[in-house]
Order: sequence, then structure tokens, then C-alpha cells
Amino acid sequence: MNKPQSIPRVSLTWLLIAQLLVIIPHLGHLPLWVVGLWLGCAAWRVQIYRMRARFPNAWLKGALMLAAGIGVFVSRGSLVGLDAGVVLLIAAFVLKLVEVRTRRDALVLIFLGFFTVVTAYLFDDSMLSAIFSLLPVSALLAAMIGLQQSTLATRPWATAKLAGSLLLQALPLMLLLFLFFPRMGPLWSLPGANAKGVTGLSDSMAPADIAELSQSSELAFRASFEGQPPPRNQLYWRALTLDRFDGRRWSQSGFARLPLQPSWRKQGEPINYQIVMQPSARPWLFSLDVAQTSLEGTRMMSDFRLQRKQPVDRSLLYNLTSWPQALLEPAASTETLRRALQLPDGGDPRSRAWARQLKQQYPQDEQLVQAVLRNFNRQPFHYTLRPKAVGVNSIDDFLFETRSGFCAHYAGSMTFVLRAAGIPARVVAGYQGGELNPSGNYLQVRQFDAHAWVEYWQAGKGWLRVDPTFEVAPERIELGLEEAVAGENSFLEKSPFSPLRYRQLAWLNQFRLAWDQVNYDWQRWVLGYQGAQQLELFQRWFGKVDGRWLALCLVGGGAIVLALIALFLFKPWQHQRDQQQRVFRRFERLLARHALVRQPAEGPRDFARRAAQALPGQARQIQQFARAFEAQRYGGQGQSLAILEQHLRALRRALPWRLT
Amino acid sequence: MRSQLDACLSAVNEILLGKEQQVRLALACLLARGHLLIEDLPGMGKTTLSQALAKVLGLSFQRIQFTSDLLPGDILGTSVFDKDTGQFVFHQGPIFAELVLADEINRATPKSQSALLEAMEEGQVTIEGATRALPDPFFVIATQNPVSQGGTFALPESQLDRFLMRLSLGYPAKAAEKALLMGDARRNLLPRLAPILDHAQLALLQDEVPKVRVSDALVDYVLRLVEATRTQPQFAWGLSPRASLALLAAARAWALLEGREYVIPEDVQAVLPSVVGHRLRERADPAGHSGGTLVQWLLREVAAI
Amino acid sequence: MIQGLQSRWNRWLARRIPPAKNLRLSQRQIFIIPSRVGAMFILALILMLLAAINYQNSLAYGLTFLLGSVFIVAILHTYLNLSGLMLKSGPAEPVFVGEHARFNVRLESERRAHEAIVLGWPSQGMLQLDVAALSGSDAELGLPATSRGWLRPGRVRVESRFPLGILVAWSWVDLDLQLLVYPRPVEGDLPIGAGLGDDPQEQGARAHGSGADDFQGLRAYQPSDSKRRLHWKAYSRGLGLLVKDFTALSGRDISLDFSALASDTEARLSLLCYWVLQLSERQQPFSLALPGVYIGVDSGEQHRDRCLRALTLFGSSFAEPGAPA
Repeated sequence: MNKPQSIPRVSLTWLLIAQLLVIIPHLGHLPLWVVGLWLGCAAWRVQIYRMRARFPNAWLKGALMLAAGIGVFVSRGSLVGLDAGVVLLIAAFVLKLVEVRTRRDALVLIFLGFFTVVTAYLFDDSMLSAIFSLLPVSALLAAMIGLQQSTLATRPWATAKLAGSLLLQALPLMLLLFLFFPRMGPLWSLPGANAKGVTGLSDSMAPADIAELSQSSELAFRASFEGQPPPRNQLYWRALTLDRFDGRRWSQSGFARLPLQPSWRKQGEPINYQIVMQPSARPWLFSLDVAQTSLEGTRMMSDFRLQRKQPVDRSLLYNLTSWPQALLEPAASTETLRRALQLPDGGDPRSRAWARQLKQQYPQDEQLVQAVLRNFNRQPFHYTLRPKAVGVNSIDDFLFETRSGFCAHYAGSMTFVLRAAGIPARVVAGYQGGELNPSGNYLQVRQFDAHAWVEYWQAGKGWLRVDPTFEVAPERIELGLEEAVAGENSFLEKSPFSPLRYRQLAWLNQFRLAWDQVNYDWQRWVLGYQGAQQLELFQRWFGKVDGRWLALCLVGGGAIVLALIALFLFKPWQHQRDQQQRVFRRFERLLARHALVRQPAEGPRDFARRAAQALPGQARQIQQFARAFEAQRYGGQGQSLAILEQHLRALRRALPWRLT
Repeated sequence: MRSQLDACLSAVNEILLGKEQQVRLALACLLARGHLLIEDLPGMGKTTLSQALAKVLGLSFQRIQFTSDLLPGDILGTSVFDKDTGQFVFHQGPIFAELVLADEINRATPKSQSALLEAMEEGQVTIEGATRALPDPFFVIATQNPVSQGGTFALPESQLDRFLMRLSLGYPAKAAEKALLMGDARRNLLPRLAPILDHAQLALLQDEVPKVRVSDALVDYVLRLVEATRTQPQFAWGLSPRASLALLAAARAWALLEGREYVIPEDVQAVLPSVVGHRLRERADPAGHSGGTLVQWLLREVAAI
Repeated sequence: MIQGLQSRWNRWLARRIPPAKNLRLSQRQIFIIPSRVGAMFILALILMLLAAINYQNSLAYGLTFLLGSVFIVAILHTYLNLSGLMLKSGPAEPVFVGEHARFNVRLESERRAHEAIVLGWPSQGMLQLDVAALSGSDAELGLPATSRGWLRPGRVRVESRFPLGILVAWSWVDLDLQLLVYPRPVEGDLPIGAGLGDDPQEQGARAHGSGADDFQGLRAYQPSDSKRRLHWKAYSRGLGLLVKDFTALSGRDISLDFSALASDTEARLSLLCYWVLQLSERQQPFSLALPGVYIGVDSGEQHRDRCLRALTLFGSSFAEPGAPA
């Protein structure tokens, strides 16, 4: 016990397997050399076990660690931050394997392994990866069991089986803890995972960006409503507004980034709903106009978008209340209006001229807006994801030459025309529509639902939403992108295997929707199970709750669960027989006073027969007891100690009283 | 059912006087679908017992006298060329009977012995490439003469294990022998016996045996017995799992004969000598047949409850 | 202070786990706490919980809780691995001072298997063994025998960390282990003046201490002869097994007398012990006289054991086992 013990073979086997399993979920973001490092270290360790190689000495270890550090720095550009930190952790986890000499080292490695599993969750928290992580955890536990020098611990499968049964037995307790353990806010802020390569809206928009988004079927967010969701053509999910135009791109001005709470007035019926956002690496949240949320660290910005302090780098659940008929900024500041009239100094002369002409023709702003929309409707505009190329005067070319494009073109050009006509207007970027999952009654909004529309301002009425795309391709709004571009087969043309392309296959579609719902529930009930959600759940189930109540639930539930597990492990019903035996011992003691001692190998029936011959007066009682005992113990009939006791009492009464 | 079994027992006991216990064990062995080895001197009634059992149970009976020149073909059968048809015709050997008495099995060569024993084990025989099923039920009573050891081949342990039980009939009690001497020659009574069970009833009874309840407590007793043979120093080797299974099966059949739906320790004790006696050997006596004293030790020392 | 606590603990332990030759471990005897590894495990869990809180990651919470629950379930498993284990003390052979005393303890399982049971005295190094379900294993615990008399090693520690090593369930059981430690035999001569003390290897009353092998002759070896007296040279010359024959001093029984020796008690006892062994080996009858004890002339193993026992227990306040120390 005192001297350091070497590591049993089975433990080493499981350690190697566990390492592989721990590293697999990280493969997506690990530099390749770490995998090579692991292979090298594993081979080295196996050779050490086979006595074909030596343990590294202190110099070599230092050099390896240094090399790994440099490697991380080179491939990640830093040694701090979550990304680099995790690579460093894994490198250490891998290198530690080579110097694992004693049980103590192995334990360090196992605990490092548990921690590495936790870091994998920061990168991928899907249900599949959570289920997968049970494998490395089992393997690590098996390695821990393997460290015990017992015969069982020399059999790999028995070890794994025990580890698995430990996990299985721990599961109910874990669920209890998960439900009732009080959640708290972050104690200090930590660097998050880099959400690189996340597709989504950006804070500037050239038409090509949206076209690219429309090729992606990745999920943007899911929304579930209390009650019936609003009709599809009302589902305009605001992300942000783009109020600066430089002749080619629409972008967000610095002003829009200022946290100025705009004035607005609640009107009409509110809608309550919940959104679970996929990581977007952007700080803004999606909402229907005009929304309030209880989410911490979130505020409304000057253009009515909701923005969080940090970017959304993992899936985020929030509850919203929206007033679709609210008045948005009926009295806007001059600065706001000035920005909503900004135009580049030159370019697009035909559009400007048309705007001037319209202004003269329609002095009323609303009439002018209707005229522009009518123009889109009447002229041969064509909704397509493959627009024809435009020249330097992109608005002119689009409005008067090519007349083919999608939402970004329509929204951009209309805003341009309105501004040129002196009406404050801006482009709103976000999503429109979404696919209803009928089984779960929630909407899935995907990247190809990205949309841009226009809002213009009227004194006293505030910002009003108009959607020029609706005039050109109403099916885009009513039915979705797929129907809008049905003619040209451009829907998801770059991802031929996306299940969304095969919605006409009923079973596939059913499966896709069901799977999506499982994932959504996972996000809402597991990943989103944080402070507010927890309290809400308890209040819904149990009414008012407080910390004491939580603690009581945890302790009480834990005791019950533990008692059940103990019952399962100790199997006290097997002691029932012992109680039968106890009664039989009393029977024996009773007869022993009459010089009738049962031989150890004498069965109950033989003994009873002998006793009955010796005590003919009490033969009936003796036989009755013996028969009842036999029937219970061997016949499995009427497991009742009371009956045995009763027969025993009868016998005691029948026997003459005698001291031992 | 029960009454039929009792009728069988009393019918056989009519013929074989004073051997109630052995007759009962033999019947239990048959019900448990096991084979029986009888070790006894000539003239103790081995053949009578076999014939009587076959008669009352309605089984076809064959006797094979084992001699040193007996060949496997004499037991299993051979193909003979038929001149008329120009084909080989298979002539069944004496083993194709429902109850086979293999008399003085230790006088045959190991080759012939194993032909019989393999047939017993598998319930079928393979002759010249063709597999032929033996009748069902199939029950072998083999006898061994313990005295005349000259020029004989005693069955090795591995072969002994194939017999569920080993019995010894022993000399009859004085009263029984007197009755024997006064009365008719026993074999003359045999033709008068009428079958009591038919095949279907026998199969039904045999199927009843595994259903007899064996409680945890009883299994513990069997385990204690087996454990003792494996740990106590006087045992040259312990009982195999096959032996403990055989013990349970025999105890079940015994309980069925007693008309009980569950096994009690007394059942195990009743069959223990005949089931494990030939499977045990004393360490101090590596050659001898001293299983008996070991069984007595087990019956005396291992806690029954 | 510590001494006081120690004795109090011992008293409490003696009440809770009274000495017994056979003992079945149950909740009355078993204590359980997290081991050092367990403390490390808890530390790792706390770190993981901090990560879960700071990253607000439900899965990290989940894994932390899962491992925490494993810890709690492991309490049951560790306890279960020790409970129901039967400990039986076996017979122990007497040894001489300076030798290694060996105690036999048999571990038996009544129901389930008991894995990786560690048994022994922490100062002597512990012994690890497994007990299969419904069977037993024998353990031999060693202890150096340092002083003459009854050796009572006291309570034996039995512990188990199975399955995960994060908890240790243990007990201090008193299996009433004891054995006799005979005095260390020290070679030497018996004084010439000590009563009838005659060096049996010599004929007549010659000067003591010569030690020469003055033998009578050779005779054929008989199975009962001591191997020490084999004449190996003759054997190597192919003359067969011969023994050097010394004529026994017939009629003159040897008396070993404590009071006839002059040195301190232990040295005298050691010398007497040597001679008891020597004479017994040669199958010569002798008697032993100690102050207050006299064992008459006899020979054989029983006699030897009686003499050794008397030498061993000489001067101790109790003569038989079982009396409190």
C-alpha cells in the first residue's frame, strides 16, 4: 500500500481507450499534430509496458511540454483563451500518458480526462455528443476500477460492466441533482469558444451575402408560442437594421450601436413565445416587433433590436413578449431621421430622378410608398436567387435593366428610392417565416429564411413595415423560399443531400421533424435548464418555492433514491429465508430441551419424524410446524412468518414446561 | 399420474422382492431421463429389474451381453448386402430398443464400450456415415461386475459421469429371500406383468420433472454439498457442475415419485449416494471405489438447512 | 492528550468490536470515509462544477452531478464489498525470538464475492487478496517475534477500496490472534558442575568445552536417526548411509537446571532452550528445572513442547493465554 504501485494491464488498456474516446469529440477543432502526438504517446506507452522502451527522463519531459506549448502557440496564436486552453489541456492529457508510472499518475490522468470531457461540452452540446460522452466516462471509470488489484479488475469486460452499472445506478441521483441543484450566474467571466465559421446574418449586407445564406439549411433558431403561432406572413423576425448605404452595401451605422432606448407605445394584444437560438457569434437576438425579454444582460437598442452584452456563442434560450401593433418611435429624434435619409453623394442618377418624379406626383408619403410597391408589382420584376450581374450604378441597373433579384435587392432599392424622395427609411435584416413542426407546435427558422425588408417613418405613426418582395413573389412570404424559387431549382442547390430537399418523401420528412423536435426539447429542457428556467419549472409544478424547499427536495429525494439503490444492491428479501431459519432455530431450541438435538445434516422432515416418535403426545404440533416450514422454505408457498410463529406457539403450549 | 407411478413401483416390487429403495431410485433415474449403472454380483436380479421396468412402462427391451470379442457393430447394427435387391440393407443392432440392458459392460473392450456410451450421450448413432435416431424414450441400464476384475476394462471416470446413477442391489433380506425361495421363480412371473404406462404418459411424467420446484434454500444446500467436495482435503477432486445438475434432476424426480411439487433436503439425501458415489474418489485411495464413505461423510457433515 | 484519546478510542473499539475468533463484518464493525484519492476526486468535481457555473453549461453540470452520484453510489458498493465477510483466525505455530511469527486468517464469503480485501497491520505491510463468492481464501500475516512470551499482535486492520478507490471501508478486528514466542536458542555448553550435566557427546566426565566429535564408530542409518549425524564422507565414498554413533549415557538422565547456570535470566533461558532442542533431537530423555517449575525426565515432542512452553512463560505473571495483559 505504501510503495507506489505499477499500473495493471487492464487499467492501461482502458486508459488508452478512454483517451481515444475523450479526444474524438474534440477532433473537429484540434490541430492535426495533437492527434499525431496522441498516436505517438500511445505507441510509446505500450512499448514501455512491453519493456521495449523507457520512461522519458525529466529533460525529455520538459522538452516535450515546451514543444507542445510552442505548437499550441503556433497553431492558435495564443496560449490563453478557451480554444488554446483546451488544446493545451489535451496536449497535457496526452503527454501525461507517457509518464504514467504509478497509480497516482494514472489517477491524475483519469481526472484530467474527466475535465477534458467537460471542455468538449463547451464546443458541442448536442444530445448525441452528450450521449457519446458516456463512453469516455465509462472507460475512465473502468480504468479506475482496473487500478484496484483484484481478480475482477484483471478482466476488461467485467471491469467495464461494473463501471457501466455504477453509472446506471448513479443516473437517478444525477437527475435529481440536475433538477434541484440551485443554479447561479457565472462567478467570473471566462473566454468562450470561438464561434468561427458560423453562418448567419452580419452587420452589413450586400445582396450576395443573403444569396449565400439562402443556400444554407442550417438552423438559426426555433420558436414556440403560447397558443397558436401568428400567421406566416406576420412572422418578420427582426435582427438588426441597416441604415448606411455606400453605393454597394447596406451596413449598420455607428449610431445604431448606441444603446439609446427608443420610445414606443404598447398597443394591441401581446404574444408570448420562447426562442432557442443557435450560436451566432453575434450579440443580437431575434424577435418579432416589438419585443421585451427578461433575459439578463440584454437591452433594446435604438433600432428596436435586442442586443446582448456578449455574443451568442452557445445556444441560448429566452422568453419574449411582443406587441405586433405597437407604435415604433412616433416622435423620432432628428438625428435618427437624418440617418434614415443618408445617401451616397453620387451615383444611380436614374433612380434619384425617378424618386424626384414620384415626389412630385405623390405629395403624400404613403401614396408614394404604394406607388413604389405598385411599380415592383406591375413591372416585369423576377424573383430569383441567380440575379443577373449589375454595374456600378447597382440600384439603377436593378430597377431599370435587370429587374431580377431577391429580397436584398428589393429592400435595398426601395429604401434608396424612398430616401431619395425624402422619406426616412431603412433596411431591416432578419428572418421571415419558418417551418412549423406540427408535432411539437413550434417553428424552425433556418438560414435560408433570411430576409430583408423596409421600414419607413411617418410622423405620429412611427416606423412602418413594408415588404417589396411580397409584391414580386408573394409565395416567398406565404409559403417560403422553396416555393418562391421552385421554377429555377436553385433551392439548396449546393447541398444535394440536405433532408430539406426531400420534403416530399413523407417518411423522411416525418423523421426529420421528429428528430428536430427531440433536439429542440433537448435545447429547451436540458441545455436551457438554467436559473430562470429552473425556477419557472418549479413554480409551474409546485407553486412558490425557495432555497430551503429546494434543499429539502434534494435531500429527501436523494435519500429515497439511495434507499432504493441500497435495496437493489443488498437484496434484503434474501434475508427473509434467514428469518425462517431463525424461527426454525427456536423450534430446535425448544426440542433441545427435550433432549432432541438435530444433527447438522438432518433435514427438517427427518428431524420432525424423529421428534414426533420421541414425543408422541406432541407429534401433531411438531409435524404441523415442520410441514409449514418445509412448504415455505422449499415449496415457496405462503411466505408468512406469522404462520410459522403460530405453529411454534402451539407446539410450545403442547410441550411440558421444562428448563434447558 | 401419481397412482400410476405407485402402481408401477408395486408391480416391480412384486417381482423383485425387498428392493423397494433401489426400484424407486431406478424409476427416478428413468424419469429424470438418465441412464443407470448397476454394480453387482451376478444373480442379484439385475436382469429381472430391467425386464420388469421395461414391462410395466411399456418399453421394448433388448439385452446385450458384453464380451471381450464384442464389436461396435454387434451393438449398433451393420449393413448387409441383399442379393435379391442388390443393395445394402441396414440391420439394426440391439441398441435400437427403448430399454437396453448392457450386461457386464466392463468385459468389453473400450472401443465397444464407447460405442454404447456415445449413443447414450447423443441419443443417436452414426453408422457408415448415416445418422440414425435412437427410439425415444431411450434408457440404458448397464451392469458391471465388481469382483471379477481379471481381463476386464473398468469404465473410466469420464464414462462413469454419463450415468446419472450407480446402484447396487445387494443381497436380499432374509424374509425376502425366503419368500423368493418359497414362491415361483421370479422370471416366470414376468410375462404376467401388464404395461401400466404408455409412451405418452411416460413422456408427460418425464416433462413434469423439470417443473418440480427447487427453492433458493435447497440450491444453497446443493451448493454446500458441492463446495464441500471441492474444498475438503479427503476428496481427490470435487464434483463438476454436470454432477450438481444431475443431483438436482435426480432429486426432482425423487420428489415427483414422492408426490411433492418441491424438493426438500431429504430428497437430495435420498439420491445423493447413487448420484455422486461413482463421481467421487478419496484422496488417500486413488484407485479404489470408496465414493461410499465420502458420501456418508457428506450426509453426516454438510448442514442440511 | 493524544494518549488519552488513543486509549479512549481503544476502549470504545473494544466495546464495539469485542474480540472473537470468528467475526462477520457488518455495519457494526465497518467504518467508511473518502480516501485521499476520493479527496482528489471531490476536488476535481468542484473544479468541474466551477466550469459548469461559469460557462452556464448544462452538460457540464450533468457530468459533475453524474460523477458526484457515482461517488455516493460507490459508498454503497465499497461498504457492500466488505460487509458479510467472515474472518476466522486459524491455528498459529510457535516461533523463536528473532523469527517471523505467522498468523493464519481465513476469509470466507457468505454470499457475494469480496474483491481486493487488504488485511494486516499497517506497520508491517498489508496483504491483499480476493474472496470469490461462497468460498474462502487464506491469508498469512507475518510479524517479527521480538520478545519471549505470548505474542498478541492485537487488532488487525481489514480494509477495502474496491471498486473505485475513492472510498475506504475499514475495520479493526480483534481475532484473538496469539502465539507463543520461545526464547532464542543460543548455543553454549552446560557447566560441568551443574548437577548431572554431562555433555552427552562425550564419554565420561571430561573437561567441558572440548566439543570434539569423539564417536564410538559408525553404524547403518536408520530412519529415526538425526541427519546431523550422518557420515557424509562415507556416503560420498559409496559406503552407504552411515551415522556416527555415540553411546548414550545410559542410566544417566540429563537434568537442565536453571539455577545451575550463571548469567542473566534471558541468557540462561536461551541456553536451556538450545539444549532442550538439542536433546530432543537426539531423543535423549532429560528433565528441566526452573524456579517454581519442575518437569520430570521424559523425551519426545510433547515433552519438548512442555519444556519450551515453561521456558517461554518463565517469569511472566500469567501462564496461560486468555488472561488480560
